[in-house]
This record gives sequence, structure tokens and C-alpha cells, in this order.
Amino acid sequence: MADDPLIPTDDDDSPVALEELLVASGLAHEEVSELIQFGVFQLAGSGISWCFHARTITLARRAARLRDDFGLNTPGMALALTYLERIEALEARLQELECQLPR
Amino acid sequence: MKFKDYYAALELERDADGDAIKKAYRRLARRTHPDVAKEPGAEERFKEISEAYQTLSDPEKRQAYDDLGRHRSGEEFSPPPDWESRFWREGNRQGSQPGSQPAGQEVDLADLFEQMGFGGSGGFAGSGGFGGTGGFGQQAGGFPVRGQDLEVIAELTLEQAAQGSEVAFTLSVPSCRADGGMTREPRSGTIRVPRGVADGERLRVPGRGGPGHGGGPAGDLFLEIRLKPHPRFRPLGHDLYLELPIAPWEAALGAEIELPTLTGTARVSVRPGMRNGQKLRLAGKGLPRRKEGAGDLYGVIQIVMPEQIGDRERELYRELAEASAFNPRPSFEGAPTHG
Repeated sequence: MADDPLIPTDDDDSPVALEELLVASGLAHEEVSELIQFGVFQLAGSGISWCFHARTITLARRAARLRDDFGLNTPGMALALTYLERIEALEARLQELECQLPR
Repeated sequence: MKFKDYYAALELERDADGDAIKKAYRRLARRTHPDVAKEPGAEERFKEISEAYQTLSDPEKRQAYDDLGRHRSGEEFSPPPDWESRFWREGNRQGSQPGSQPAGQEVDLADLFEQMGFGGSGGFAGSGGFGGTGGFGQQAGGFPVRGQDLEVIAELTLEQAAQGSEVAFTLSVPSCRADGGMTREPRSGTIRVPRGVADGERLRVPGRGGPGHGGGPAGDLFLEIRLKPHPRFRPLGHDLYLELPIAPWEAALGAEIELPTLTGTARVSVRPGMRNGQKLRLAGKGLPRRKEGAGDLYGVIQIVMPEQIGDRERELYRELAEASAFNPRPSFEGAPTHG
């Protein structure tokens, strides 16, 4: 296993095709399409076939877990993902400030 | 087989109705779901809760569970003799008995209920799978099924993240036995984490998850990087922060200070007149980045006072107090103004 490729899921240089996103997350095509409309998923590039930033895999897997474990529909997934993203941004900011405080 | 108390997991009495079971699941899942809760142990608790809910929310599975009788959690037990014939549909188990697993192969209660052919279980079946749970419900039938995705948390020291490191992991993965039954097998492996990872980063190894079934592809392995706390440095992305204590006279007069870096030491000049919280930046002395370069190291100035001072020092402070016209509290003077 030592030589397996590790693909960072936050690397914009490693785009993910729609088919790969569907397989890796368990989301349906229709759900991905709606999450794009809600602005939660962003398309990478403007080609004919859909392509996503690598970090979308993490978001999509989280969306599928929330759907399965809480019975959320697509608007619910979009709302939860938006709030979780916002919490993570605030936590990152908090961590940044804590780094500068005396212990 | 070890008994699990599903009612206790959901904090319910045994006579709870379906509505109470659903409410208890939702209440507890909201508090412990791995995407929402960050407390230690929450993820394990969520697994218990969803396992209990998947059985108790299905009336037939619940009946089968209730007929196992009452045991203590963790107690070894065997199902009643006629239990299987009453609850298993013909063909679902392909001849294996719940109590007849080969020695050394532990049958998990959750796997047993998951295999029961009782039809739909109400829409909440957990599938995402932290640490290798779930995602294995649709194994029968011969059509290709993709293998399970596995999630591994890799804890690294800062030094390991800087240099790259081999990380060992062990997961408990459900798998099919030759007789069609199901068991959990420990799966261990090592993975080489390259230099340049940062705290919270997620990496994916395609095809290194659970094996596919019926010709389906293998799942993926997801690796989440967690950096262990370091006694000296605090990481933020690829930057490192270091508390840099200086004496009041060093702050006033400036100083040459040797400070530790991740790989050695570096000499820095502290300018005269430094204030608390000001940062000194050492470019490229943080964590290496994946492709090239590295983050920066920040020394955050902390002016510290000696706990005790001697007579001579006290005398000098008095002299300083008399000589200085510095007013540290100009904002206290006059009436406060807004904006």
C-alpha cells in the first residue's frame, strides 16, 4: 500500500468527474444537480461535462451521511452544509486567534 | 455472540412505541453525529445509536431482537433454539446458523440483523460509514456492488507531517464468509503519508477501501490528518506559531534571540520597542508544503515579568519611574468620546 496515490481532497489541481463524485459519495445525479443550483457545489471549469473541485468529494460524502442519518432532503442538506462550512470557517478563525494568545 | 442492549443505547424502556424510538434516535443522533459533534467518543456513540435504531425501528427485527431475551450488555449468549426458523426467510442465510460460526470468527449482532430479509427498514439506514461501518446492506443478488469506503484518522506529530511518515491503521470490516454468512475481520495496513500535509486535511486513496462484490469495484480509503499537540509549536495550516517570551528590557532595548524551529534553531533580532502580541515572521520555517516551499514560523511576543525582583532591580525600576514621562493610560483621561 505504500506506493498508492494519495489524492488530497482540497487540491484544485485534481478535479473530479461527475461519475466519480456520484460513486464516491452515494448521492444521486438529481441531488448533485440540485446542490449545484443551491450553490453548495461549484463546478470547476466550464467544459461540456461536469467537473468538480476535489474538495467537493468531502462535501458530497457529508451530504449523503446527513441524508441517510437524518432523512434530510436536498434543501435540508444544502442548509446543513452551509452552516457546517460556516462553523468550520469560524473555528479556523478562532484557532488562528488562539495561536496568538499566551498559553 | 455478545449481547448489545439496543434499548439502553437509545435510552428507552423496552415498551417504547415506534414514535418514541424515532424521537430518541433523532434526539441522540443530532447530538452525536460525526458531522456535527466534535466531542471525543461522539462517533462511537453515534454508531451504537444507529445500530440500535436500525433494528428497533423495524417491527419484525424488533420482535426478533426482543425474543433474544434480556441479557447484560457484552454478555455472551446464544439465540433460543427455534429463533432462526421463526425469523429467517428461506434462502437468506444459506444454511449458516447464528451460533455456528467457526471458532475465532466473531459474529456481530448488528451484522446478523442486517442480513435478515425483512424488507425495507424505514429510510434511515446509515450508509456513510465512519471507520468502516454500514454501507454493506445490499450484498445479495449477484449484481455488482461497489466495496465499502473506509475512513481512517491518521494522527501525526508535527515532525512526521514535516518529513512524511508511514502510518499504521486497523479497522473492523464486515466481510462475507464462504458459506454466505457475515463476519467482521480486522483489516490492518500501513499507508505512506507524504510530507506537506496539514491538520484536518483529507486524502483519498482510490480503490483501497473494502473489496467489491459480484465484480463491483473496490471502495476508497479516506484519510483524515490530525496533528498531535506539540509542546512548543501551534500549527495553523502550514504556518507554525511559537510563543516568544521576552524580558521588559529586551522589549525596550531590543535583543538578539535564538529561538527553536522544527528542525533546529534560528537567530532573530527583536527590534527596540516591541509590544505584547506583535509577531516576528521567519519565512519558510513552518511546515513544508506538498509541492514546494514551506509555511512561515511566527514568534508571538510575550513580555514577561520576573516573579521576584531583587533590591537592585527594584531600585532601577524606581529610577526609571521617576525618569520616564510615559503615560500608559491616556485613554482614561477626559470624558469618553464615542466614535
